[in-house]
Amino acid sequence: MDTLEPHSPYISTKSESNSKPEIENRSSSLVSSPVPPPASMLRLWRPAAQRNLRNQWSKMASYRQQWISASSNGRSHATSLVNSYLSQRYMPSMELGVLSDMPEIRNKACFKLCKQQEHHRSKLLSSYKDMVAVVNYMVNISRSMRCFLKGPSSSPLVQFSSYSEDVNDTGDGGGMPVFVFLSVAAFEKLSEELVQMFELELNLKRLLVVELLATTCETPQVNRFCWSDELYPGEFDDLSICNLYSKETCEPIAPRLSNCNSGMPARSVQYHDQPNQEILQVYLTTWLAEVNIDTHRVNEIFAIIGEEMHVSIS
Amino acid sequence: MEGIVKKYQQKFKKIREEMNRWDELQSRLISQFRNASSIIERLQIIQDSKNYGSLISVGGIEVAVLRKQLESLQAFLLSMKKTVEDFHGIVLCLEKIHRDGKQLVKGGSNQLTLKQLQQRVGVKPTLADCLDGLMLLHDMHNSEYALKVSLVSALSPLAVKPSTSDLGSLQQLLVDQPNIPKEEVQYIFEIIFAEEIC
Repeated sequence: MDTLEPHSPYISTKSESNSKPEIENRSSSLVSSPVPPPASMLRLWRPAAQRNLRNQWSKMASYRQQWISASSNGRSHATSLVNSYLSQRYMPSMELGVLSDMPEIRNKACFKLCKQQEHHRSKLLSSYKDMVAVVNYMVNISRSMRCFLKGPSSSPLVQFSSYSEDVNDTGDGGGMPVFVFLSVAAFEKLSEELVQMFELELNLKRLLVVELLATTCETPQVNRFCWSDELYPGEFDDLSICNLYSKETCEPIAPRLSNCNSGMPARSVQYHDQPNQEILQVYLTTWLAEVNIDTHRVNEIFAIIGEEMHVSIS
Repeated sequence: MEGIVKKYQQKFKKIREEMNRWDELQSRLISQFRNASSIIERLQIIQDSKNYGSLISVGGIEVAVLRKQLESLQAFLLSMKKTVEDFHGIVLCLEKIHRDGKQLVKGGSNQLTLKQLQQRVGVKPTLADCLDGLMLLHDMHNSEYALKVSLVSALSPLAVKPSTSDLGSLQQLLVDQPNIPKEEVQYIFEIIFAEEIC
């Protein structure tokens, strides 16, 4: 999953004072110096990079919380949807007691349950949309760990930004530690590891959403979604950002687990028209289990980062 | 005499605080128990690959779901154990209050006669009432704690051989707290604090 330019995480992390004399001659001569950048620049770069990383990681932590709440909302909508669907399905055999004398009672109940399911379906879809948005933000954060020089370095006022203006500026301070030990590349590696868990989980949840949305008592094939459909306008653009959309097959890539590279193509999935109660329970359990998100590791990553930056994030 | 009764009433107030904490722990334990038993209930379903519907296209999904669920189950069992330990803390506290209470009338120089113990002043409780109350409350909670220990340890074997009816009865016992009859507890407190109720 190395999507970014390769940088060895720990290159020449000698303390800046060591290389000072040599660099001072150079800073006057050329701007586009190869790594390592001049020490004077690094001195200015470091606080800016620290500020940036603190920002990005605190955002990351807050998106993690948002994921948790979106996922749990989604689960409760999915549960309601399943319950309502099962009630409707078992309506013909349901013991209604004194109510059974009322005319059309079963049909009316079914109609009501149908309406309910429609409502839960749209809620479930909107929770899914929230989750996609969260993962999109996470991906963007994980691509914004670097801190680049803004404008000519000869200008008296040195500024930094998150966009590279110079191909020679790698934005990682020549691989030096930003706080104590970790280089920018090391921060990126951790964030990629983190984000990948959420990407995979999002992909798996998409399969569940497709299946749950397709679960209906109505005559099948009435505008039901399948894997290759866009679940909401713009979904495929969002999924491309998360590396979850294949331009070749023109559909989202098949879900897989983090420890397992070979997911069978989702196309071969045989759709169950009317999944039984057990299958639906497994769907809900899978939603809950978040198999791709290793909670211990996530906590560990945030702990490592927090310790390194001397702030507590979670 | 009145001074001693006051001291006892202080002790019963302390017990009331401990019992409030007991109630908090009780609702915590119930929710942990419910979570654990709902995982146990679905363990068989999630072990059968034919229940995975379309998910079966995701390689290794059954193993992963099962592993995650077992992890959560273990976490719930562990936290239940912790909660039960907290119950034990309360029992120890009640035991100490009871012991200190006995000291008040039997310790050292102030040996009281049976008559003194049963002497009643107005609506105030007799010293014997106080002593009995302390003992009863301690006993109740002690037995209930023992029951909880066995309930929690009965849960793990069910994970291997699930039985929905067993889970149901365990949970019922846990909720009911048969060793702490509410009316009796209330009765004890009514006698001790009769003057405040009047």
